[in-house]
Amino acid sequence: MAPFDPRSLYEWLTDRVSPRTRRNLRSELDSSLLAKLGVGILIVVLVSAVFAPLIAPWNPTAQTLDDKQQPPLGFSRAETQVSQEMVDGEVQIVEETEYIDATVAHPLGTDALGQDMLSRVIYGARTSLLVGVLGTVLAMAIGVPIGLISGYYKGRVDDALMRIADVSLAFPSLVLAIALVGLFGQATVNVPDPFVTSGLSEFLRGLVSLPGGLSYPPGMPETFALPGTVILVVGIVNWVWFARVARGEALGVSEEEYVTASKALGGSNRYVIRRHILPNSVTPILVLATIQIAAIILLESSLSFLGFSGANLSWGFDIAAGREYQTTAWWIAAMPGLAIVITVIGVNLVGDWLRDALDPSIEGEGGGV
Amino acid sequence: MASFGRFLLRRTLQGALVVLGVITVLFVLRHVTPGSPVDFIAPLDANQETRRAIAEARGLNEPIYVQYVDYVLSLVQGEFGFAYRSSTAVRPRVFSKLPATLELAGAATIVAVVLSIPLGVLSATRRHEGPDYAATLFSLLGISTPNFWLGVMLVILFGVQFRIFPTSARPVGLIDAAGHLVTVSGGVGFPLDVAGFSDAFATWLRYITLPALTLGTYFTALITRLTRSGMLDQLGRSYVQAARAKGLPETRVRYHHVLRNTLIPIITVVGLQLGTLVGGAVITEQVFNWPGLGSLIIDAINARDWPLIQGSLVVVATGFVVVNIVVDALYARLNPQVMD
Repeated sequence: MAPFDPRSLYEWLTDRVSPRTRRNLRSELDSSLLAKLGVGILIVVLVSAVFAPLIAPWNPTAQTLDDKQQPPLGFSRAETQVSQEMVDGEVQIVEETEYIDATVAHPLGTDALGQDMLSRVIYGARTSLLVGVLGTVLAMAIGVPIGLISGYYKGRVDDALMRIADVSLAFPSLVLAIALVGLFGQATVNVPDPFVTSGLSEFLRGLVSLPGGLSYPPGMPETFALPGTVILVVGIVNWVWFARVARGEALGVSEEEYVTASKALGGSNRYVIRRHILPNSVTPILVLATIQIAAIILLESSLSFLGFSGANLSWGFDIAAGREYQTTAWWIAAMPGLAIVITVIGVNLVGDWLRDALDPSIEGEGGGV
Repeated sequence: MASFGRFLLRRTLQGALVVLGVITVLFVLRHVTPGSPVDFIAPLDANQETRRAIAEARGLNEPIYVQYVDYVLSLVQGEFGFAYRSSTAVRPRVFSKLPATLELAGAATIVAVVLSIPLGVLSATRRHEGPDYAATLFSLLGISTPNFWLGVMLVILFGVQFRIFPTSARPVGLIDAAGHLVTVSGGVGFPLDVAGFSDAFATWLRYITLPALTLGTYFTALITRLTRSGMLDQLGRSYVQAARAKGLPETRVRYHHVLRNTLIPIITVVGLQLGTLVGGAVITEQVFNWPGLGSLIIDAINARDWPLIQGSLVVVATGFVVVNIVVDALYARLNPQVMD
């Protein structure tokens, strides 16, 4: 295998984008603070997800019951417990004040099992982004061809395919997803974590010395549970939005003169769709894809929250766990939720940026949980 | 108006076809998922004899196309069958859960419409000013927040910390509350039990506030965004200048002309997002122990109780189709061009 060169990937990508588009993207990014914020957020989330074993301070699944329910930094508190005790044969009322201090070691606190919330939030980014991106790719792979065929051939084909789309729309996506995952079971694939199995994370973590004599705790999960069924299901559930947008584009583009010309020159339908219809429909599909990543991240977290995902390092899963402690430890549910909100804001801002830069006439349509 | 009638007829037929499609998908799903229904119905220690009898009684030995036709015909007649687990009739169970879900969805819609349209108008007419930034920030937060998490946070804040609202349950329904205004014989009785009604209604309101906010926030944010961008688009059109040049007051231009034209695309998107509303209701019900269809669906799926799954999903999908036809009809009235 040739050594991977990130620059060649960048060049390959930019070669596919016209200079005008690149200029538009650039100027929109320069002029919009929100676009910069969105790109910034996404970079942070992406880096956390990819390099989780290097960044997470603790093993996210390491349980230290002595440190359970530790509050996040800035929320240290004292709890006074009143109890009756026998002292010298007499019943006395004893007040005990327990100080529960936040520590730098667990900046976002710990959960009910003493697992570090920050590490869990960092690892949760993996589940969310993987499901978001892979689910969107799958939805696109199903929806775009169907939409293009529907809009290009029109007539009976279009009618039939759009009725199927209507049936798909009649099921609320969350309900359909619950049904599919619930009925087919929650298969997860354990993917080995290359940073851990290669020993790289252990090595790098050993090099870092923390202030205050703290040592970086070693040991990270060797595998990562990829929620396979969930990815399949969110892809299947969301194809219809891509089909609708692709169809709309194909309807418009197929009326263009260059399409007529290409057909007159003997271009087969297949050729015309691939050479003309698809490339000219790409922009709205891309914009929809970003909206869909956001929608699928929300859908995944909903499934995990309801216990239908099988992933145990997921923001939704942690929120469900934190619900049990809503009277004593609010941060267990709050922290992963904040991570979702920030991530989805990032994705939505990037979506707005792409839309404004590429085609201001598009309105967001699909999405939501 | 003949064309409107024909349009409505065509949409109704299409809708019926969609419902048939939904029923078919559910039938297929039932037969491709692992596990025989007999396993779920029969007691664990049932012998072959009993199992055969159950299969016979439920028509599970018939050829698959006979089962399909039977199934479609019974659903069309409103016959939903009996649940596996409890052998209770499915239809009353589904319909008894419906009011709670409809109340929740209705309250959330009211929250969304009442808040979002003024917010969107304000945002568009005072572009790049304080209110616009505030509304934009709010709507960005709203579409990015998972509703179940918002629900949990509202419970922690207003239920546990400040104890303003109850954290869960639905002790009275709207129909129970209205029952105070009706005598046992069914007629409106005198004197009306107004005090009883307002007490029950106040309780209902207290319990539905947090769930309705939880479910409504996403839609408030979505419609605010749509209203803002739609208004901005319309405000740039030449008819607005013409209306202003004619000397019409600005409020009339905004609300009578611009907002009206903005509502058309909003209605379409909201119609399409109804599925999201139902999905959101399912999860909101879980957060607040709201005894609606959502809890029924989740329990049914966990128990793989097919008649119950089918019954509730057919009701949900039919509701979606019907509301969409209504939305389309509304749309056609506002914009007759779509009746192609």
